[in-house]
Amino acid sequence: MTLFNLRAALVYRMRPGGWVLRSLQAVVLTCAMTAAQASPTLYEQIGGEAKFKAIAQEFTNAILADDRINFTFADSDVKKFTQLIFEQLCNLTGGPCKYTGRDMHEAHAKLAINNAQFNAIAEDLYIAFDKVHVPYRLQNRVMVMLAPMQRDIVKPGFVAPGTTPPPR
Amino acid sequence: MRRLSVVTTAVVALGVMGGTRSALADNLLGADEGKLHLTAGFSDLEGAGGGGLVPMAFITGYGSNESWGANAHFTNIQLRDLHLYTYGVAAGALDRFELSYTHQQLEFTSTALDGLGVNQDVFGVKVKLLGDAIYGQDSWLPQVAVGAQYKHNDGIKHADAVGLPGLINPQQLGAQAEHSTDFYLALTKVLLGESLLVNAVVRETKANQFGLLGFGGDRHRGYATKPEATVAYLLTRKLAVGGEIRTGPHNLSVDDQSNAWTLFVGWAPTRNLSLVAAYLNIGSVLAPVTTVTRRQAGPYLSVQAGF
Repeated sequence: MTLFNLRAALVYRMRPGGWVLRSLQAVVLTCAMTAAQASPTLYEQIGGEAKFKAIAQEFTNAILADDRINFTFADSDVKKFTQLIFEQLCNLTGGPCKYTGRDMHEAHAKLAINNAQFNAIAEDLYIAFDKVHVPYRLQNRVMVMLAPMQRDIVKPGFVAPGTTPPPR
Repeated sequence: MRRLSVVTTAVVALGVMGGTRSALADNLLGADEGKLHLTAGFSDLEGAGGGGLVPMAFITGYGSNESWGANAHFTNIQLRDLHLYTYGVAAGALDRFELSYTHQQLEFTSTALDGLGVNQDVFGVKVKLLGDAIYGQDSWLPQVAVGAQYKHNDGIKHADAVGLPGLINPQQLGAQAEHSTDFYLALTKVLLGESLLVNAVVRETKANQFGLLGFGGDRHRGYATKPEATVAYLLTRKLAVGGEIRTGPHNLSVDDQSNAWTLFVGWAPTRNLSLVAAYLNIGSVLAPVTTVTRRQAGPYLSVQAGF
């Protein structure tokens, strides 16, 4: 088939009622219908309350087992911390929860958390997600919302290497 | 080969050190291994923290902004008619400054140039200027770094064996110089919501085939502005797949330099070990001389050990 014939054939199929145009219409319609349905929240996609309760528990466990940061939780009420983590993750991902804790800046003001510790906490959350089998791409969609908290949590300024910030 | 074995020993030693974990690393004057997996980057062809072919704005090593890190790497590349291997060391400090040294060794393994070799040393420096590729998820601002690479071509070896006695340096192929400095600007952003890493680089360079065929040439003498890019999809927080493209100048009549590209898998199973397996294609090399116009492509394997 010459190029000219090919073009003519294509033009014919694209006339109103031709199959090319009809399939295009079908695709556009399907897309529009999908968009019209309320898309599930990230909270729902990950698995809702049961899943987030499990994530919060595994996260707390991972932090308490992590020598890089567990000393900052020495005097913490572990049960309350787990509940607040659940509330915050639920709230951030569009779930039906209210976060009743302090804001991130206030909660960490006395802790002198540095970048390495912030990253350790992020890693522990990834580990918790893995433990309860949350797909990695969904993990990252939660992390998107948490990553900018670095500015509120990490104390600006240089802390000499090797020195550990005093526990509360 | 003596130099090679020294570096291999260094790589193994760093790996063993890493294996004994951070207790030892902690004692290395406060190396904290405080960065997230993959954010130290791999060692690119010229030793900079990046992918295989293209540098990134990440600072090498796993030291946080209050610490430092260092690593050694060995990379082996077997293309159709060429064997290239590189080895070197790099250090990053305060998540802001990077220094690197890499030795590159190229050998022709077939065609009329079988046995011909070229060596080059690359000294690199990189400074992170602003932004954070990971934390800044609420902003479009990427992590931005500038770098420079001083490259010194050590000349052409064994030319008499291929019937070209007297060919000892790239100037005899039309190059203007045997040493030069590349300057680059790197913009790196992790689009975490999409699990994507995007990286764009603009390089000012005179290098012919990375400098292995000297700098500048009979077709074009001075600097050229050349873009490079990386896109990687993060499969897990330790594993990424992606591709890179690197454009280069076409300075020499004797070498139809074209774009180089890779498809790669990068894996950082621990903060002490990074591995890259890639397919590298650099296009034809010296085709007008050898009359071998086929593209030089093949496997790229790189191992980096450090903290």
